[in-house]
Amino acid sequence: MQAVLFGLLVGGVYALASSGLTLIFGVMRIVNLTHGAVLVAGAFLTYTICTATGLDPFVTIPVVGAVLFCLGWLIHRLVVQRAEHGGEGTVILSTLALAMVLEGVTILIWGQEPHTVATSYSRTSFRLGDLVFPTTQVYGSACALVLLAALYVLLNRTWLGRAVRAATANPQGAELVGIRVERVNVAAFSLGVALTGAAGAILAVLSPFTPDSGEQWIGLGLAIVVLGGMGSLGGALIGALVLGVAETLTATYGSPGWATAMPFAVIVLTLLLRPQGIFGIRVREDVVSA
Amino acid sequence: MKILIAMAGAALVALPALWGDAYYLNMLILIFLLAIMAGSWNVMGGYTGYISLGQSAFLGVGAYATAIAADAWSISPFLAAPLGGLAAAALAAVLGLVTFRARGNAFIMITFAMLYLLGVVALNWTSVTNGNDGMILPAPTWSRDYALWPFYYALLGLLVLTLLMSKAIASSRFGLGLMAIREDEGKAAGIGVNTSAAKLAAFVASSVPIGVAGGVYGYYLGFLDSRAMFSIVTSIMIVLAALLGGSGTLWGPVLGAFLLEPFSQLTNQLFTGPTAGAWRLIVFGGLLLAVLLFLPKGIIPGVRQALDRRRPAAVGRRLALADVPAWLAVGDGARLEVRDVRKRFGGHTVLDGLDLTVEPGSITGLIGPNGSGKTTLFNLIDGGMRPDHGTILLDGRPIETAARWARSRAGLGRTHQITRLFPRLSVLRNVVAGSDGSWTAPAITGAQAARGAELLELVGLADYRDLPAAELSYGQQKLIELVQILMLQPRLVLLDEPAGGINPTQIEQMGALIRELNRTGTTFLVVEHNMPFVLGLCDTVHVLAGGRRLASGTPQEVREDPLVLDAYLTGASR
Repeated sequence: MQAVLFGLLVGGVYALASSGLTLIFGVMRIVNLTHGAVLVAGAFLTYTICTATGLDPFVTIPVVGAVLFCLGWLIHRLVVQRAEHGGEGTVILSTLALAMVLEGVTILIWGQEPHTVATSYSRTSFRLGDLVFPTTQVYGSACALVLLAALYVLLNRTWLGRAVRAATANPQGAELVGIRVERVNVAAFSLGVALTGAAGAILAVLSPFTPDSGEQWIGLGLAIVVLGGMGSLGGALIGALVLGVAETLTATYGSPGWATAMPFAVIVLTLLLRPQGIFGIRVREDVVSA
Repeated sequence: MKILIAMAGAALVALPALWGDAYYLNMLILIFLLAIMAGSWNVMGGYTGYISLGQSAFLGVGAYATAIAADAWSISPFLAAPLGGLAAAALAAVLGLVTFRARGNAFIMITFAMLYLLGVVALNWTSVTNGNDGMILPAPTWSRDYALWPFYYALLGLLVLTLLMSKAIASSRFGLGLMAIREDEGKAAGIGVNTSAAKLAAFVASSVPIGVAGGVYGYYLGFLDSRAMFSIVTSIMIVLAALLGGSGTLWGPVLGAFLLEPFSQLTNQLFTGPTAGAWRLIVFGGLLLAVLLFLPKGIIPGVRQALDRRRPAAVGRRLALADVPAWLAVGDGARLEVRDVRKRFGGHTVLDGLDLTVEPGSITGLIGPNGSGKTTLFNLIDGGMRPDHGTILLDGRPIETAARWARSRAGLGRTHQITRLFPRLSVLRNVVAGSDGSWTAPAITGAQAARGAELLELVGLADYRDLPAAELSYGQQKLIELVQILMLQPRLVLLDEPAGGINPTQIEQMGALIRELNRTGTTFLVVEHNMPFVLGLCDTVHVLAGGRRLASGTPQEVREDPLVLDAYLTGASR
């Protein structure tokens, strides 16, 4: 019971992290392999801001989000947009190349050692009967849920959100009704990277991290969106909760070594058995664009 | 060119005896290894267009399988290395199943995930792989003076075999099918390429040499460490080598390996100390990015293109109705029946219990307002999509669940509203890509080339034979697409707006060609908005509106039907 609840809390943060990945895939059909490196960058930014100013790490989320929004914008302008001429494979490979560069830069700036972000309440926890909730975990999940709710409102209540959803469903159709899809793409990509970075800021408080944590985190992110159905935000939320629980359960009752295999096994099995995921639907293969 | 290659080959064979410097032998061994891996990757990534990011997993699987077998039976790892190839093939066969139902993105992700998964397995399955401590292979038994020679020659030989395999695939029908898949997978299936089997076979072929090489490489290292054997960095080097030299070409991956591996050794010497790893990540990430953005085709195709610039432009001739070749006569055309077919997209019902029949030997027209379900019906008939409900019978046999390529083989041909050709393949290759023949046959047999030439002559495009299809005009592409399916000797041809977007003379000629082909037996089902054209051409016309058949009859009857006039004027069904 404790493990399940703990998993759900972690899952909330994972949901935020993978919302960026699934948003970018949904709009642009791009598997953004910089995802892990961006999460790590967010975590290290929080670390630097906190050690420099002594601020509470959760306060840094808007700053980290803003910085990474700019990074996302740059990535899209300088790399993704240019790589798009080469097709889907070129774009994915270019995000992988960029992830390598980002990881290298992260090592140069912050070094290889594990880092942690400590708060004054790191060792405290809430109690509810027999159940124990670490304070940081509760705050982290709360922040993640607030950001996810904001994303939901953005997508469903604003013009930009409508444009994003339109471009997701049918880019050519969206273009025809006056949506500048290229701009929507930039916005969605930057937003996706910003959300990922914000999740990195939260993860920084929850567990120690190194520059190569990105490899494990991207496995987790991909597992979540593949399980939930590529491009489906609701699916990502469910997938994140499932994986959060599965992870804490395997770590509690299995061995931590095998727990690292879990996300990758989920990806392989899901793609083999049900490639559209739990909630992904097969969309009409558009005859005109095909 | 051949002489150069032969000389280079001879030099490589003689090298250890003449100049046995261990440093350079080691570098060449690593170059051979990378060239084997990139050359194998090329079969799936270059010819077929499916990018694998986990290709190094086959190296690890091959190395571990070899080491375990050599240990269990106390045989030389050289003898056990083919088992490594077998293990890699088995893994590829399972992973390749993902390509049956999902396209490029899913393939990239599953290969990427499998690499990490196997790495974790190798690390944790201690009873078999010795986990964290790694596996030690037996020390070489031969004289130290020749310590590196067996590895050198084994990998050189394997590289030659890999290249022979790659060349054989590229020049076979199998290879032509793979390239068709790369250019347009749906279309490839539509003209009879068994895409699922071809992709699976290509992936297996691209895994075996790497698995064998893994066995040899493991023996060479003498020690297997799970992190080094299942490394994403190796996978990235493979992709980078292939892209740098030119993926989809025979020699590109080899050239890439000969450039990349020495460069990699150089960076090893250049960067030392704690930040060496970081700099290597930046350099190779940056290099991959640079190749993707600024040299997307790679060196060999880039050079080839520059040399090809001065080429005289081809000139087409008028489509003068020559005689339709006798081999196109099918005798009796096919009969098509559509029974109670329904298809929904989300909440939108496109076909709502459609019934219609296309009589054998007829030219049947299908008209209806935009959105009435004409193209969707075509997609259901040719296998691009499956109906939610109902039956489609070709000569009385249900086909609605058959694979697309199987329907094509059963005598069904289809052109598209917006032409779909294989843009980078030559016109002749486009035309013959779908024709019958076993995988091992040459890509274009003499007979196929002759038939292809006859058909190109028929539509006046014989001079364009060797041009990439992408360089043709829209009208010419329409004609090529028609010729492409004629090559399959279809008994039922579905034409989606054959007269759309081409000039009036061409429309007339297209009509004459259809009539001429129909005289020899072929059944036609034509979707068209050009009313004079369709009413003049067809003997029966079905009118669709709102996903149902509104009316049927001769052109004259349909023209006068008030219901039809109403549907067209209001654009909605009643």
